[in-house]
Parts: sequence; structure tokens; C-alpha cells
Amino acid sequence: MKITFPHMGNIYIAAKALFDGLGVDYVIPPQNNKEVLNIGTRYSPEEICLPFKIMIGNYIQAIEQGADTVLLTGSCGPCRFGEYCELQMNLMKELGYNLNFIVLDMPKDIGIKELFKRLGKVTVTSNKSMYGKTKALKDALTVANLIDEVEAKAHYLAGYERNKGQCKRILNDCKKEAMNCSNPEEMISSLRKYKDKLKYIPVDINKNPLKIAIIGEIYTVIEPFSNFFIEDKLMDYGVSSKREMTPTWWVKNMALSPLKLNSLKIKQSSKDYLSLAIGGHARECVGEAVLAQEGGFDGAIQIFPMGCMPEIVSKSILPTISKDKDFPIMSLVVDDMTGEAGYITRVEAFIDLLERRRNNVLLGS
Amino acid sequence: MKVGIPKGLLYYKYHPFLITFFNELGAEVIVSDDTNKKILDEGVKYCVDDACMPVKIFHGHVASIIDNCELIVIPRIMQLWKNEYICPKFCGLPEMVINSIDNMPKAITDPIYATSKKKLYSWAKLAGKSLNKNNSTIKKAFNHALTAQRNHLEGIYDQGYELNIALTGHAYNIYDNYSNMNLVRKLNDLGIGVITAEFTQEHILRAEASNLYKRPFWTFTRENYGFAVNAAKEKSVDGIIYISSFNCGLDSIIIELIKNTVPSFPFLILKVDEHTGEAGINTRIEAFADMLERRASDENNISTHG
Ligand code: SF4
Ligand code: SF4
Repeated sequence: MKITFPHMGNIYIAAKALFDGLGVDYVIPPQNNKEVLNIGTRYSPEEICLPFKIMIGNYIQAIEQGADTVLLTGSCGPCRFGEYCELQMNLMKELGYNLNFIVLDMPKDIGIKELFKRLGKVTVTSNKSMYGKTKALKDALTVANLIDEVEAKAHYLAGYERNKGQCKRILNDCKKEAMNCSNPEEMISSLRKYKDKLKYIPVDINKNPLKIAIIGEIYTVIEPFSNFFIEDKLMDYGVSSKREMTPTWWVKNMALSPLKLNSLKIKQSSKDYLSLAIGGHARECVGEAVLAQEGGFDGAIQIFPMGCMPEIVSKSILPTISKDKDFPIMSLVVDDMTGEAGYITRVEAFIDLLERRRNNVLLGS
Repeated sequence: MKVGIPKGLLYYKYHPFLITFFNELGAEVIVSDDTNKKILDEGVKYCVDDACMPVKIFHGHVASIIDNCELIVIPRIMQLWKNEYICPKFCGLPEMVINSIDNMPKAITDPIYATSKKKLYSWAKLAGKSLNKNNSTIKKAFNHALTAQRNHLEGIYDQGYELNIALTGHAYNIYDNYSNMNLVRKLNDLGIGVITAEFTQEHILRAEASNLYKRPFWTFTRENYGFAVNAAKEKSVDGIIYISSFNCGLDSIIIELIKNTVPSFPFLILKVDEHTGEAGINTRIEAFADMLERRASDENNISTHG
């Protein structure tokens, strides 16, 4: 058995830690790029949301490298994502691939027994003891946490750095080095090292960079390829950015949701505008917009795949928040036809707008 | 009090309930007109452009009656069956409308969980309270409304046609003749009878859907998939037509599921939006009708030889 999984941001780093720790064979699909998307688009139903298409591209490229089993999480808030696996299974079969799917659904949907059975399938070929398996899982979560922290820090500090490009460089080196580690322990200490490094980079605390919150549909905000590496670009522009949605957030949210203790602050903040969970992460998006304004951000950018149902609802709400709070919010819709040039122009225009607003305030007009 | 009810989305399924309920509460019920060009245009103007056409049309219906009513009903349908969900846009419909249209009157937006009589009644209670009615009046109106809904038989079951198709899709696409460009009449004119899902029993829909790897968590999946697949397997029709709208996230999945399960059964997918031209739709329906006829006569020929 050779396991693979679809890309989503830095998950591949935590996945490497997990599979190395378990001692099971795995393939990390080649990094997302145009080619992956083209493959995915060619074989996917036309109107399906973008994440689906990229994932199909990941599977096919992973199979070319010997993968025969794919590990997938099930529901991601009640939305199309929950139906992905069925379609993807059919699709891969139709294309003549013999790919096994291990779908980790929420225990409330499939029962805890079934979940353990499916988890068991992941570790069949692992010769680690129960203790070893638990440790591998724990280490992987630590890795996920660390890389999310390093990334968030780099995105935020980029606005303050004295040596232009330093944050971005550190972040890139960090990821590269993590992938060169041969076991989870080594990876954890490497990540810690980079986390410390970011603590000591020279910053200009008197600088007051633009601050932008990235909100929207979880896959497209987390997976940089799908949003044209917007956070990298913001770093280049010397803008500080922040995003609540991360793989770690997702894990925590899932774990706490049966107790209804998940994301309390976001829920609280969304209350005046969208008080109910409607599927996907629409409520989170709305809550994050409010939080960003309260947190002193200059603006927010919402990103979502074309046709994304929950985010279309939040997009209807965001202009009201923007008006009520005098807080600029821009919505960007991405799909396989989105042209990069037009997209970047819009991001730049938005940054200009935020800068102008600042100057106007300074001039007292 | 004048209560406005927009004739869009699941109005097509639940109008007997809604109208009876508010009538019995003593309200003057204002229902918007059948969808027309003006309503569609207004909808397109107000609604976020990423939305699907049915949601835009709903916006148009709201805009067309807000000046004539003091209270408007925007059903926020959260759940129709236990453990099943509904399109996120239904759950966020009031937010979409209220944030897009100015000068809205007061609106009834309480969530509707129609999974049991009791749960539905809690919606009715809140709605009745917005009209300052007491419990016994609300209870009575609610019971009458339920009866009206139960007595109302929706659905198309044409008889006497040589060729028949299963017409599937959301109720508001099937029954809004403006948005589907009189599809049913067109089919009838071509000599094709139409059958809709309402005549297939619930347990059959469920049985078909349970063959899927994953329990479908959308009510619409179960209904449309179950119906189409069952009709194909039972050969109770000659083909399936799925009337859908561009950018419908649910249909994009359901259509694939149907295709996968009955790949060789004649299946026509019609997607409409505000830019769809009628001529194109006509051509596609005619071509499909021709194909069904050819198939039927081929089969007859084969059977005379065999
Ligand atoms: S939240 Fe959006 S992107 Fe995700 S499955 Fe739903 S429609 Fe697709
Ligand atoms: S089910 Fe489809 S057509 Fe209906 S509101 Fe949702 S996206 Fe639109």
C-alpha cells in the first residue's frame, strides 16, 4: 500500500511527519501548479468547485508515482465537499485507475467504530506499536501547529521587517528544511528553530504597515496555488496579512464542534450579521470580517471558488459590514479560468485604496 | 396586516401551507406575480451576481412586493428531513435578501426545521407572534395550513403519450414556467409525456439513494437522484430530463451521480440562466425527442425480428 492525499497548504509537511512516524509508504503529490489544474479540469465535471478539480490532478500525479490509496477527510461543514469522495471514487474508476479511498468522516456520520476501522486501514502496514502510532499522530499535530505558527508569523512580520524579503526567505527555507528531515523529531526541532529565528529578525516597530485579513472559503484561502499565492504577494508588497483558517484551526474546530465549543469568538462576532451555520464556513467568514475590523486591520479580502454556495451568501453580507463599519472588503472569485493578471491588478488596486484611505485620514480630510 | 409572500424557490412546493397559514391568521396575503421579465431583471439587479438564477428570481419577487406589504415572509429553510441538509443558500436566504435590497419591510426570517410537526410549529409560533396573534389562533391556522398542504397534490403525470420522460430538478425550476421557458408544454407539443418525482414513493427514493457509498446529506440529492435512477431502472420512462440552473452546486453533484449510475440511459441536461436563449433550448429538446423516437422505433424493429 502506498498512501497519498490531496494538497492543501502545508498539510503535506504534517503528512510527511505522520507517515514517516508510522513507517508507512506514501507519495506526496507534486506541488500544485497549472499542469495539475489542467489535468484536474480535463477530467472533472465542469461545474464542480475548484478544490475538487485540483484534488483530481493531485491523485493522478500521485498515481503516476506509485500511489494506490488516497486518504481524505469527509465533511467540511455540510457542503459539496461531503459529496466529493463519492464522485471522485467513481471518476477515478471510470478513468481506469485502481485507487482505494480511505475517507475519514466525522464520527457522528459514520459512527466511531467505522472511523477507527478506517483509521486502522491507514496503519495496517505500520509495524509500530500502539504507542508508536499514537506518538506519530501527536508529532504530526505538533508539526502542523508549528508550521502554521511559523507561517502566520512570517505573514504578519513581513510588514515590519527591516531587511526586505527576509520573512519570506525564512518561511521558504523553513518548509524546505522540514521536507529534508528524515524523521518527525528532527522535523519538529527544525521547525522550532525557524520559529525562534522569526522572533529575532530585525523589525521596525515604528512602521505601521497595511494590515489585511484573508477570509473566505477554507480550501482557497489555505491552498496558495488556488489563490495565486496572494499571501506571498502581500509579503512582497510589505503588507501584513492574517488568516484564521489553517489546518490546525480546522482540526480544533472539528474536535470541539460536537461540544459546541468551537470558534466561540468568531461565532460571537458573526452574530449580528449571520447567526446560524449555513454550511461550509460562511459564518466564519462573516465573523472574521468583523473581527478584523475590530482588530485594527485596514481591510479584508474574501476568496472563494466560483459557485461556492456558502461564500456567495457571505458575499451578500460583507458589503453591509463594510458600510456599517467603514471597512473595505474585496471579494475575489477563483476558478480554472481566472486570469492571473486581472486578479493581481485587483489586489494591487485594493492595496492602493487602503493606502489612500490612510493618507486621507492623516491629512484630516 | 398585509403579508407578502414571494413566489420563488420553494414557494412552488409549500404555497398551500404558507398561504393558508397567513390567511387564517387574518392577514391580507400578497403573493407576487408569476415570474416575468421585470421580476427577473430586478432580481439580477439586486442579487450578488455569483448566485444562481432561482435565487436571483427570488430577489426579484421580493423587490416586486415590498412596497405593498408591511411584513414579508422569507422562508429560511434549514432542514426538511432529519440528518439531511438543504442548499446553504436557503439557510442564508434572508441575509442575502436583506443585505441586497433597500427599504425592506419587516421580515419573518426564523429558521424552519420541518423535520417534525412539533419543530415546524415552533416556526409557526414565532411567525404568528410577529402578527400579534395568540396561541390558539396560531395553532388553528397551523393545523389548517398543514391540512391544506397535505391535500394539495403537486406533480405532473401525463397520460396517453407514446413517449414519456422523467422530469427532474428543483421544484422551482420545474414549475416556474418563465424560467424553464414552458418546458412541459414544449415537451407535450412534441408528443412527449412528463412525469415528475412526486409519484414515486418515499421508500423507493430512499432505497435508491442508499445504494450510494455515502448517505446523501442533501434532501434534493435523494429526491432527484432516487427518482431519476429508479425511473431509468424500471424503464417507466424513455428518458430523463434534468432541468437545472448554471451555478447550482447541488445539481452539479446530483447530475454526475445519476450519470454514473445509469450511464447509457437517455439523459438530457438543460441548464438555464438569465442569458439562456430560448431557441437553443428548443433545438436541444427537439433533438432529444428525435433521439427518443429513433430509439423507440429501433427497439420495435428489433423485437419483431427476435
Ligand atoms: S464550501 Fe464552497 S468550495 Fe467548499 S465544497 Fe462547498 S461549494 Fe465547494
Ligand atoms: S439548490 Fe441550486 S438552484 Fe437551488 S438555491 Fe441552491 S444553488 Fe441555487
